[in-house]
Amino acid sequence: MIWIYYLPVVLSGIGGLLCLVPRTKFEEDVSIIASFASLASSILIAFLPNAASFGLYVDGFSKLMQIMISAVYVLTVIFSIQYLEHIENKLFQANLYFLLLNLFVVSMFFTVMVDNVGLLWVGVEATTVTSALLIATDNNELAVEATWRYIIIVSTGLTISLLATIFIYGGFHTLSLNALLQAPQATKIVSVGALLGIIGYGTKGGIFPMHTWLPDAHGRAPAPISAMFSAILLPVALYTIVRFVQIVPMQSVRNFAVVLGSLSVIVASLMTFSQRQYKRMFAYSSIENMGVALIGIALGGNAFIGSVIIILTHAFAKSAAFFLTGNVLASYRTNAIRDVKGVSRTMPLTGYSLFFAGLAVTGAPPFGTFFGEMLIMTRMLQVYGVWFTLFIASFLVVAFIGVNYRVIRMVFSEPAEQSGKMDDNATVPIVSLIIAFSMVFLTPVVYYFLKGVVVR
Amino acid sequence: MTLNSIFVLVGFVQIALVTFMQWQTYVSSVIKTFSVGSYVLAAFLLAAGYVGHEPYLIALGGFTALIRAWFIPSFLSRMLRRDRWRAREIKPVLGIASTIILSLLFAVFGYVIYSWTMYDYVHSALGAIPIALFLQGAFLIISRRTPTTQLIGYLVMENALYLFGFLFPELPFVVEAGVVLDVIGTIMISGVIVRLKEEPAQNADVDDLTPREDFTELRG
Repeated sequence: MIWIYYLPVVLSGIGGLLCLVPRTKFEEDVSIIASFASLASSILIAFLPNAASFGLYVDGFSKLMQIMISAVYVLTVIFSIQYLEHIENKLFQANLYFLLLNLFVVSMFFTVMVDNVGLLWVGVEATTVTSALLIATDNNELAVEATWRYIIIVSTGLTISLLATIFIYGGFHTLSLNALLQAPQATKIVSVGALLGIIGYGTKGGIFPMHTWLPDAHGRAPAPISAMFSAILLPVALYTIVRFVQIVPMQSVRNFAVVLGSLSVIVASLMTFSQRQYKRMFAYSSIENMGVALIGIALGGNAFIGSVIIILTHAFAKSAAFFLTGNVLASYRTNAIRDVKGVSRTMPLTGYSLFFAGLAVTGAPPFGTFFGEMLIMTRMLQVYGVWFTLFIASFLVVAFIGVNYRVIRMVFSEPAEQSGKMDDNATVPIVSLIIAFSMVFLTPVVYYFLKGVVVR
Repeated sequence: MTLNSIFVLVGFVQIALVTFMQWQTYVSSVIKTFSVGSYVLAAFLLAAGYVGHEPYLIALGGFTALIRAWFIPSFLSRMLRRDRWRAREIKPVLGIASTIILSLLFAVFGYVIYSWTMYDYVHSALGAIPIALFLQGAFLIISRRTPTTQLIGYLVMENALYLFGFLFPELPFVVEAGVVLDVIGTIMISGVIVRLKEEPAQNADVDDLTPREDFTELRG
């Protein structure tokens, strides 16, 4: 039965390789089949017992991550098929796009199931290799520059996490996740490793101070790729940080993570106000969400549950937001917030969905992000007191206003006189939004899966 | 001569080579210098494996020679030959003299930082050398604007970690192999992006330019 755990990786990998078959539209069919098969296998794995053998480490958290990755994978593949038609000067053919997309998913599946901290690094670095070219799909100077920044900043950051891996090995003389999680006492060398790991993997997760690649990459990548980056790549990076905090649950490591998470929230919240491009604005919103999630991971207990709820809700809500920005970009032909007016009139489905997506990613009730933030803030109140909690909460309000004020201006303003009805296919984003909304009802399921995983 | 003293020697050779890279104007020289550094690293691993009868280190040395010393520099050099206008460094962020001084200061800073923070945990003074090299690699990325040189900076950081990993024996081979494969992937993808990046100015007849001509003219 152990082979079933490998299915998501194998199926998406096969899907990717079949994209090389030179038949018209074949890559689209194959990618859809591979993504649905991966989703089915991820759901099947969720019903199987946890696994910690044959190079695998699959616990409740891994299972949730697999389901999230495969669900966003399905939505992205379907959305990509219609969206690619809007890109005029593609860097490569559609089959190469789908090949890279599938391999990108393979590297993420690999990361969340492998029982080796070293191979965890290999998986995260592989996400860079497989995703970099996807950012440059639009094939213009800015997209290429954004890709270069992504490669050089993220690769440099990940060398720090490689150093962290060496330190972990130096302390425990093993890299097996299963063995590390049962190791008795963390030594000081391991705590240094954990701190470096948080900085290094935080680079990939859009955590301050190494977050600078993220707005450029998200802003210039095609909408489906921005969605994948924000929805699943950043959480996969946070997944590695969860493992580091689990291995080294020392207070100094937790405090360090709280500091970085808080700085991410503060910087990103303030930056949302100065953004003139809607995709960059949503990118900063992702940094803010990952910052809050990192705080929850560090605080542990119910706050960790809150982080996972945020990660899951954010994945679908932010996918929807980026898919919708793709619709807006395809119709309005501009990235600028001030040039997009009256979306609710010109593209009603896209407009109203964008409004709800904006609310969902900024933690408005009744979305799961709100309840996740409440769980984290409650725990923060217990640990750090009322003033620090209020201080961080005020920046969440700042981000809420910063994003929603602009979204409302784009959606509900008077459209320009020459604007008529535009192409308004929002089926995939609406499905994504519905899933995001449902997350709040799935909170007991999240509790069930995270039993025994909760960071001590 | 003990293995530790050879390790120190190899480390200082690496630091000297990175400092040498800092005063190079031609990207091809930087690539060749990196190749020499990787061959030195490979020779060290092979020798350590041979002396200690550790096939794992011998395999790692062979891997390093093949991938880091030969394949990657060849790939980057071929890229340069295709686009001759890339052969010269574009306006370095700092002047050469200040870059070299800063690079050496980074090496000293790395040693001091290591002694203050990590030495007590790693229990080996040798760790200061790779950490100094790591910071020098990072500085190479910051101080240069040419993408190929920045890539070399990243590879220097990776080499530093390879050297650091040597202090922790029997670091699983599968991880090291995975790291090498990822580095190859990163370099290949970067190669594509570097080719797309910074196309020469329009109407410039780049075939008529030799690498020695001032690149600033080309950039207008």
